[in-house]
Amino acid sequence: MSDMWAAIPPRGRIVLAMLLALLLVAPAVLDRYLMSVLILIFYFAFVGQAWNIMMGYAGQLSLGHALYAGLGGYVAALLWFYFGIGPWIGVFAGVAVAAAFGAVIGWLGFRFGIQGVYFALLTIAFAEFTRIAFDNMAFTGGPSGLFLLYDEHRAGEWWNLRGGPMLFYYLGLILAAGGALLTAWLSRSRLGYQWLAVREDQEAALSLGVGAFRAKMIAVLISASMTAIGGVFLAFYNNSLFPSQAFEIGRSIEIILAPVIGGLGTIFGPIIGAFILTPLGETLIALTAKFGLDLPGTKAVFYGLTLMIIITLRPDGVWPWLKRLLGLELKP
Amino acid sequence: MKRETPSMHNRVNRRLFSAGLGAGLVAGTAPFNIVRAQGAALKIAVILPRSGYLAPAGQSCHRGALIAPKVLSDYGYKVELIHIDCESNADVARTQAERAINDGAQAVVGAFDSASTLAIAQVCEQRKIPFVVNIGASPQLTEQGYKFLVRNFPTGGMLVTNGLKLIKDELAATKLDAKTAVFLHANDNFGTAQRAAMDKIFPAAGMPFQLLESIAYDPKAQDLSVEVTKVRALNPDLLIVVTRAADAIKMVRDMVRQRFEPKGIISPGSPGLYDEEFYQALGPLADYAMYNLPWANPKSQMTQALEAAFKPANPGFRFPVECFNVGFTFEALLVAATAFKKAGTTDGTELMKAVRATDIAEHVMIGPAIKFDDKGQNVGIPSAAVQNLHRTPTVTLPADVATATPTLPIPGWQKRT
Repeated sequence: MSDMWAAIPPRGRIVLAMLLALLLVAPAVLDRYLMSVLILIFYFAFVGQAWNIMMGYAGQLSLGHALYAGLGGYVAALLWFYFGIGPWIGVFAGVAVAAAFGAVIGWLGFRFGIQGVYFALLTIAFAEFTRIAFDNMAFTGGPSGLFLLYDEHRAGEWWNLRGGPMLFYYLGLILAAGGALLTAWLSRSRLGYQWLAVREDQEAALSLGVGAFRAKMIAVLISASMTAIGGVFLAFYNNSLFPSQAFEIGRSIEIILAPVIGGLGTIFGPIIGAFILTPLGETLIALTAKFGLDLPGTKAVFYGLTLMIIITLRPDGVWPWLKRLLGLELKP
Repeated sequence: MKRETPSMHNRVNRRLFSAGLGAGLVAGTAPFNIVRAQGAALKIAVILPRSGYLAPAGQSCHRGALIAPKVLSDYGYKVELIHIDCESNADVARTQAERAINDGAQAVVGAFDSASTLAIAQVCEQRKIPFVVNIGASPQLTEQGYKFLVRNFPTGGMLVTNGLKLIKDELAATKLDAKTAVFLHANDNFGTAQRAAMDKIFPAAGMPFQLLESIAYDPKAQDLSVEVTKVRALNPDLLIVVTRAADAIKMVRDMVRQRFEPKGIISPGSPGLYDEEFYQALGPLADYAMYNLPWANPKSQMTQALEAAFKPANPGFRFPVECFNVGFTFEALLVAATAFKKAGTTDGTELMKAVRATDIAEHVMIGPAIKFDDKGQNVGIPSAAVQNLHRTPTVTLPADVATATPTLPIPGWQKRT
């Protein structure tokens, strides 16, 4: 850990410390709306980081990552709903189930040499048939959804994730920061370098003795597990789960946008991406309302245009450009 | 990142104020937040999915919200609406509910789908702002113990129970001797939920016909020829359907191709058979399809006033086709406006007490006075039997509000002009 801190240039350490301090004290001055926006930013930064491990570092394209978030959320929520088992325990079950699904997908994909877009299609297929399965299972609530009872008498039970925005704000912050730390640690580990070798040229990596199958499987397992934790967070924040929303491809796309915009294969890319995308959406809603552009979909059009401009101007993501601009590049 | 909002100004002001005058005085400032009703308008956030996959329904509801202030004003209610698109996304619904309340919304109406509705409900509960659900059939919405939520819309179970009961009434009114039926339904969320309700309710409903089989289909399929062939082989007297617009069109086209002519095509409570695209695509073939749903009362003065306001504001849309979404959205606003007038305050707790005590005899949709039970559910919303006549949804039952009599058996495909 001290190595990682030492690798950050002094200016970077100051910026990072200030940012963390600001985020820690922010709830004292922010209103509930801005806190709800920040909670979403933290969530997308965390699950984006999970996807970044698989795609950005190990080079495996998953377009069905909502599967893991949905499974994690559903398993923990079902344990709470039927047996009163709190999410701090339920999260382990959720992670186990999501990791098992990840293992099956990874094994099928890597064992039989399914790569690139075909691997992506495999991930979409798993997410889709899981959605259909959950639509048809009565004990999960089926298409009508699973509702976690709102009980204001339990509002202070942080250990059961029964609380208001403040609880989810700090929990989200811990997840986002923890996800970044884990990614930073992994990226500097032997496994991290193996991922990079496999990502850049799998044949060359194999010829050097890198266990590509093992490295990729570990990437999928870590990524699925982290995403499942994010799913538990969101399920208890929203107090509801619907198969159509939990597993749909739109949710998977939401997960991958932050790392793509922020910078793939970078530690701060998903965080910067989340800090750009969520406020961008909210700002566009406010601006279109202010200027009377009340036509539905106007925000989506401007949102899409803005993303196109960002991707055109910064094809490697915003973070690599930003860190050069601010002189925050990590030491080797 | 930090953006100033009205509430932040309030917060800072309160802080400065309290620093000067002390805690006791601060406590005394609370009533300043309460706007007395005399002359003031109730500020209502109308949160609807106007884009995304629920956009058609959300926009239809929005058309109802747009004309509501004028009609309500004519009835002596003052409302100011904040229109918000939640993009068919629960995350957006939640943040936008927070923003709307920051911007001064004193009540919230929405949000058509259950996920967004539940996200908004939590915000309203924590901030003590009344939330009136316009449309949302998930039974659990009013089973969660929310004190600041009421729903003026039937649950999925109520829809099917009322729908099946009306089929009995339709058969009795037309003296049609139907002995068999097949249930054909889309396998999407709504269709699957309706199937589950049918499986549960039909055996105990005492229907005069036998249900031969339930057949599910993929609403995204290119055609429904296989499913229609299956139904045709069973040759039921009635075809009971749960559809969306696009697949309802495919279903009728395949029935015409295969010359399958049941005595009745009846939906126990689903969209599809009364969408504008259904009429446009099928012309006279769209006629005589029946659907049992809560519907606007054509004989109510308030409905007539709403229709009069709707026509000039929406020249490209027909009120009889839109009245389901428009009517329920208007009624949700009516509930909030009436409570405001009665409570005389925008204080959330007081306003909610008035919402809970709602008793509105004159309203838009067919049925008795709008009232809520202890859970916040209006349990008195009946369905009406509506039939397509001359490509227009027409109320045929109950008789006291009907403008035509039901037609069963339906004419053959070749006998229509």
